[in-house]
Amino acid sequence: MKRREALEIIDEVFRDRPLVMTCGAPARELASIARRDSHLYLLDSMGLAAAVGAGLALAGKGPLAAVEGDGSLLMGFSVLPTIHALAPPGLTLVVLDNHEHASADRMPTHAAVVSLGSACRGIGLPTEEVDDGSGLRSALADARAAVGPSVVIARIEGGNDPAVPLLLEDPVTIGDRFRRFLSSQEGEG
Amino acid sequence: MSGRTWASNAVVQGLLEWGIEDFTYVPSSHIAPVVRPLQEQGVRSYLAAREEEGVGIAGGLVLGGRKAALLMQDNGFGNALTALATFAKAYHVGLPVIANARGGPGEYNAMIHSFSEAVPDLLGALGIRVELLGPSDPRRVWQATTRSAAELAVVTRRPIVVLLDLLHPGIGEQE
Repeated sequence: MKRREALEIIDEVFRDRPLVMTCGAPARELASIARRDSHLYLLDSMGLAAAVGAGLALAGKGPLAAVEGDGSLLMGFSVLPTIHALAPPGLTLVVLDNHEHASADRMPTHAAVVSLGSACRGIGLPTEEVDDGSGLRSALADARAAVGPSVVIARIEGGNDPAVPLLLEDPVTIGDRFRRFLSSQEGEG
Repeated sequence: MSGRTWASNAVVQGLLEWGIEDFTYVPSSHIAPVVRPLQEQGVRSYLAAREEEGVGIAGGLVLGGRKAALLMQDNGFGNALTALATFAKAYHVGLPVIANARGGPGEYNAMIHSFSEAVPDLLGALGIRVELLGPSDPRRVWQATTRSAAELAVVTRRPIVVLLDLLHPGIGEQE
């Protein structure tokens, strides 16, 4: 599955819910698919999307999704036991796993030799691993409906699409639009 | 470990006056006298494994409309700086950070000063405001500074750090 297809499905399932997005090419690609106020793009905070998503879920803003790559998840791996212990309600952690740092000259990650799914399950998090679009759509729908936190790991192809434009929006604007979206959701969810 | 003092109690009172609803924390024996009383008062607390994780979770709580803070020890800023600069500061997240300071008078560790002494300069270089509280500040200043620094973080939409010199032997000599 190409990353673009995975992002289109994530956007489809969480279209009306908050979505915290990891940095780099995946963020640019999501913005090129659909630029929504519900998207919080973390432009340079690699490995922080899951933690920010957990905080939002603990504030009662779920169901919501936080999207990490395998590289960014490994950078902030301690967040997994934290999420299991704190059990932020309605948090879906989506991991786009291409076994590489696609935005860093395609250098490898340790996901090539470590099973992220086994690690997540070992920590105690409900985890689904998928490798095609229909599996991803189904797993995300189940995760969105779950009461507690869950993980969906999507195996994707490596590399970046060079045609995707840069995301040059001011982070203050991104944050402001996201806050306005959250305010518009008061009483929903 | 250090116990509760007039100074740690003043910080707790300042945070309660502010109306703190949630906090994330990374454990330290010297921030425990602030953490434990807040927990006893029923403030919701979330244990983080690392300081940048604490910035992320507390920042998410703030974006979600909660009055939330991060409590930690100052040597953890080595972990937290990137998250503070690229998330909390860059996205205008009004996040108070309450941290006990190490490495000064009263210190018993031979190494920790090598990082902690540089913390005010490191935060200053990133443009993150720091409020220092020490033994020469009376209790009312500790309490008012903690409360008003938290308010200032929210009003000015940025992380603000309050550094607490709780280890200083002079702390035990007042009141």
